[in-house]
Amino acid sequence: MKSQHTIQALVQNEAGTLNRLVSLFRRRGFNLASLNAGDCEVEGFSRVTLVVNGDDEVLQQCVGQLQKLIDVVSVDDLPFTASVMRELALIHLTGVANNRREILDLLAVADGKIVHFGLDSLTVEVSGDAKSIDRFIAMLGPYHVTEVVRTGVVGLRTENRIPSELASPTFAATSA
Amino acid sequence: MNMEKRTGSQVVMEALARHGVDTIFGYPGGVILPLYDEMLKWPQIDHILVRHEQCAAHMADGYARATGKVGVCLGTSGPGATNLVTGIATAIMDSVPMLVLTGQVNSWAIGKDAFQEVDIQGITIPITKHNYLVTNVDDLPYVMAEAFYLANTGRKGPVHVDIPKDVFQALTDAPFPETVHRRGYTIPGAAPLTDIERAAEMLNQAERPIAIAGAGVIWSETAPFIRQLAEKADLPIINSLLGLGAIDRQDPRSLGMMGMHGEAAATIAVQEADLVIGIGNRFDDRLTGKTSGFAPKAEIIHFDIDPTEFGKCVRTMHVVPGDLTHNLPAFVEAVKPAKRKTWWGEIRQWQAEYPLVVPEDGRFLARHVMKGLNECTGGNAIVSTDVGQHQMWAAQFYQFKRPYQWLSSGGLGTMGFGFPAAMGAKFACPDQEVWAIVGDGGFQMTLQELQTAFECKLDVNIALINNGYLGMIRQWQELFYDDRQSHSSMGNPDYAKLAEAYGVHFVRCDNAADLPAAVEAARTTKGPSLVEFVVAMEENVYPMVAAGASNDNLIMDPALARSDAESLMGAQP
Ligand SMILES: Cc1ncc(C[n+]2csc(CCOP(=O)(O)OP(=O)(O)O)c2C)c(N)n1
Ligand SMILES: [Mg+2]
Repeated sequence: MKSQHTIQALVQNEAGTLNRLVSLFRRRGFNLASLNAGDCEVEGFSRVTLVVNGDDEVLQQCVGQLQKLIDVVSVDDLPFTASVMRELALIHLTGVANNRREILDLLAVADGKIVHFGLDSLTVEVSGDAKSIDRFIAMLGPYHVTEVVRTGVVGLRTENRIPSELASPTFAATSA
Repeated sequence: MNMEKRTGSQVVMEALARHGVDTIFGYPGGVILPLYDEMLKWPQIDHILVRHEQCAAHMADGYARATGKVGVCLGTSGPGATNLVTGIATAIMDSVPMLVLTGQVNSWAIGKDAFQEVDIQGITIPITKHNYLVTNVDDLPYVMAEAFYLANTGRKGPVHVDIPKDVFQALTDAPFPETVHRRGYTIPGAAPLTDIERAAEMLNQAERPIAIAGAGVIWSETAPFIRQLAEKADLPIINSLLGLGAIDRQDPRSLGMMGMHGEAAATIAVQEADLVIGIGNRFDDRLTGKTSGFAPKAEIIHFDIDPTEFGKCVRTMHVVPGDLTHNLPAFVEAVKPAKRKTWWGEIRQWQAEYPLVVPEDGRFLARHVMKGLNECTGGNAIVSTDVGQHQMWAAQFYQFKRPYQWLSSGGLGTMGFGFPAAMGAKFACPDQEVWAIVGDGGFQMTLQELQTAFECKLDVNIALINNGYLGMIRQWQELFYDDRQSHSSMGNPDYAKLAEAYGVHFVRCDNAADLPAAVEAARTTKGPSLVEFVVAMEENVYPMVAAGASNDNLIMDPALARSDAESLMGAQP
């Protein structure tokens, strides 16, 4: 079944780690919709959230191949029903002088805010799941959207959480 | 513990010594000179100076394939490093444990397009199990230990360590780690017993079961359990190309190789089987043919150490994950003894109907050479090959007895591999007889190593199959391109003169009667021997399944239909 999955990888930061991850997707032809990498609760490690298009078989390969990378500690296919997914977008609008009121109303609906304003421009910030950001941008259609920047989705499992691998002492050791 | 300060170069050599490395294969250059200088102080580690870095990698690979130990090769930055690439890719495709060391430009010069700088870490990412760029000498002891550990545990593979010149020279007192810890890297162990039991139950229930033993059996050193399994369950055993040696070819339950150029009876048996058990193999396209037509009547069980192999190529009913050293003995234990008279009856029938043949029509064929080499060496030699027709004939006709005896580039199909790989094997196993069976095309890719072999007085034998063609290419053109021979015909140098120039023993042989003497001369000559077999030019490898076709569409040897066909190599008792 074709679908989209949000996969989270916990990785150990090393020279080439991100390169290795992206190289894997390209080499095996996995379709990457977005990628977000950032620090996590332990120094030297990062969490990378990847949105992948593909059927279940593709997903299984993808998770398995990711897990095989030496600098990947663990991989979690985040279930939509038991995770929060958020993305942040910055949107630059011009020609707003006569429409400020309407834009402010829209921002209120989307729980967004103005992060910078000029004489005839606004930079607004919204966050939410990817779909609501899509909708918000669509709603801005009548106004002059000059630039959109999105972070890509970050996700966090809320239910059936496996204790963090980094906290577990048993997980740490494989010895020679 | 208070460690004395030592240089990065010292750390590297010490790491090699600690891991019992006796031979390394390499080529020097500017940035790796600190290591070459240090090497002089380590007489217990033999450095073999190759003539092209690609061959350093293939020699390390051959060393590993003949022993199961990590092969080590090294080269300088830039072109030295890129020359290693083909060898690294060859190793990863066949899961060969290898450590690749490269020099890199000084760490402060990285990114500035310095002389002989290339992003070799970036280049080897997709062809290594893991790789490192070490920019701090304090990391080097750990990295070296981890590199060995990763290369030779789990599913094996090449690991690459890139070391800038200043890191070779810098001082560190960082100790070698007692143990290697790598979060998220676990060495697969035993499968849950229920997985084994279910597999055993499926085998007990099956009427026409068959097993495919792959290279995983070789690397895990579990070949004895394949034989036990075959005996206890009266189970026919097939080999993938790289699984040859996982069972003695003379064993009555060994059917030989299956697939594109496998033995017909083996390929047919899988098509007719009701249960196929893959053991340490990866169901690659050369084995399965068109996957939708593979083993259509069978359920598939797959034993493998790498879970990403499950379902990657073929639909699988049941999987047994983990290390064969645990899972195979448990499986043997769990299966019920069986006798499969009817099933074997059918298989014997196919074997009798479609044997491998060496037509006796007066021509001297590459197949005569394979058969003759097998007889003259008693099936005991370590055999490496290049890629092409001769490789397939060697796989078909040489009767491999044991693991670590067969070295061939199965996954990448690297021409030029055969000779240097044989050299690596001979360095590793000086007491064993080693033959490189090479094509005239492939040999011309790496024959400069004759000089290395000569200098090292390396007692390696080369069976050069001179058919004047890139034979496998010509065969495909004949069969699939209306015999339009585009750039597959190829000239050869005068090999007698070539051998003389390199100081290498030489015999030419162009008929079957002279073959035993030619082989014997090579075997008894100390040092490298080149035997040129001038064989019929336009012979084809059969049976054959065309690329992309189903294994049902076996093209049989036309010689089988002719009366001059003589079955010479039936494996059946
Ligand atoms: C490096 C490399 N280049 C090209 C090929 C494609 N190829 C496969 S078999 C073959 C012909 C090999 O000819 P030869 O070495 O003479 O062996 P023969 O088939 O004649 O036994 C070629 C060109 C390859 N496998 N490797
Ligand atoms: Mg040839």
